[in-house]
Amino acid sequence: MSSALTAQTDKPMLVATDIHRHFEGMRAVDGVSLEVSPGKITGLIGPNGAGKSTFMAVLAGTLPATSGTIVFEGDDITHLPAYQRARRRLVRTFQLPSEFAQLTVLENLLVAAPNNRGDSLFGALMGKRYWVDDEHRLIDEARGLLKRFGMSAKESDYAGTMSGGQKRLIEIMRALMLHPRLLLLDEPMSGVHPKIVEEIQFYLQDLRAGGLTILMVEHELHMVERLCDTVVVMAQGKVIGSGTMASLRKQPEIVDAYLVG
Amino acid sequence: MNTFYAANLLIYAGIDIIACLALNLQFGVSGIVNFSFIVFQAVGAYAAAVLSLPPDTANGGFQHYVGGLQLSFPFPWIGGAIAGGLLAIPVGFVVLRKLRSDYQAIALLVLSVIANTVITNADKFLGGAAGLALVPPPFSDRIDPNSEGYQYFYVGITAVAVVIAFALVNRVVNSPYGRSLRAMREREDAAAAIGKDPVRLKMTIFIVGGVIAGLSGAILVGFIQIWAPSVWLYPETIILFAAIIVGGRGNNIGAILGALLVPVGFEEVTRLLNNNPNIANLGPPNLISALQWVAIGLLILGFLWFRPQGVRPEPRRVFEGGPD
Repeated sequence: MSSALTAQTDKPMLVATDIHRHFEGMRAVDGVSLEVSPGKITGLIGPNGAGKSTFMAVLAGTLPATSGTIVFEGDDITHLPAYQRARRRLVRTFQLPSEFAQLTVLENLLVAAPNNRGDSLFGALMGKRYWVDDEHRLIDEARGLLKRFGMSAKESDYAGTMSGGQKRLIEIMRALMLHPRLLLLDEPMSGVHPKIVEEIQFYLQDLRAGGLTILMVEHELHMVERLCDTVVVMAQGKVIGSGTMASLRKQPEIVDAYLVG
Repeated sequence: MNTFYAANLLIYAGIDIIACLALNLQFGVSGIVNFSFIVFQAVGAYAAAVLSLPPDTANGGFQHYVGGLQLSFPFPWIGGAIAGGLLAIPVGFVVLRKLRSDYQAIALLVLSVIANTVITNADKFLGGAAGLALVPPPFSDRIDPNSEGYQYFYVGITAVAVVIAFALVNRVVNSPYGRSLRAMREREDAAAAIGKDPVRLKMTIFIVGGVIAGLSGAILVGFIQIWAPSVWLYPETIILFAAIIVGGRGNNIGAILGALLVPVGFEEVTRLLNNNPNIANLGPPNLISALQWVAIGLLILGFLWFRPQGVRPEPRRVFEGGPD
């Protein structure tokens, strides 16, 4: 029983096999295969133009794969659109801030929450009494996240007026409102003030401790070393190595390709 | 001000308010740049007309059209609303699924021009260029449509339609569903990344907007009793867009204000100027009418430049129990 359970939990949460993504002949992703283990933070690193963000977009369904398969929690999701993958709790953030600028910070969180009876035309036409209980429950949940991420005072401000780092936090909190099984973070520290980088690092460790699985593209190698259990290196659309950062540093071809310095 | 003029103004105001509420839901709240909006009002008007008119063999057969079911109120209005919604299904299916939003706007503008040209040249379908005349107004068999009392009556039923449209649109905009629509407007790919289906959201709102636009057309044709391609040319849509931009995108009260300020107020002032012989005789014929379009364009530019949020900006949603 115990070993069966262990075997079950050891199964990779996400298996991407031989993923290609071509743009009019340009092979942005060229046969990438990758597995993400549950409860771990997997890092995806590589030089600019390696195809990391394109690969993340393919995993999230924002871009369709030219070929290859993606299996998430045992189901083939290769042909599912982005919104259906999100509903399966495979949730992404974007390389550039993607806040809903004219919604308040609290609304940015609330809009992501599933299971609100007022989030359909029928529910909306039924009137506030039909959905107000769900709304109150979700406001409480969103305020809990805002408090945890130190942004309670900003809940009524427009998200578009926040700093770059605060927008990153909004995106992470927004993703958390979906109770993700797998969180895809695309350069969460990019363009962020060093103080907020430290905060984001703390929150990510906290999320992993809570059992959340994360696949993260990041350029800041010290951060990757501190946060990631496994690191995958991409260059020119291909995977050129994987393992811990310590083991990768011992591989000359990877050092030459990316880790110089 | 005589009763007929006042009633005329109020009924037009009501119809424009209903149309602006629908366009605000589509453009202001959801970000769908529906440059063919007037087509949906037109199809509602045509549907209501052919549902209330007798068969085209009546009246000496001087006009030709399909239908002619001679239905009594409220069926022509209901039919007009349904026709607006039904038209939105194929149009939305073609335009909203694959095209990027700027191309959607262009496609819808082209559709508006094509639809007008087709209806103008299809003589036997809906009266062609001459259009439809002698459309029976609601309850015209019981109340004389030319009486003063009937004007008040029509103002009353228009007002009821305005209240219903406002209540329904307000419920949608101020609900969690309205929040999803605003998120889609702000950034479609990010909305999809949190589980929203942008195509479904856009299609739904396109159909709802089509229903309301169709209703506004049905009310209009019941009042003016004629309908022809010359009254629904694509620039009519631009006037409604001007109303939303002036009133305030995403704000239902702003949409009402915009309807009163632009299609009713602004157009009425320029029309009155044209009625003044001292002004009308300045320059070549139709100068004032042409300048009216220039003025509408300047009004849009002025607001986009100096006050893009409009007279009544979209409200910021602040929830109880939070900071100010």
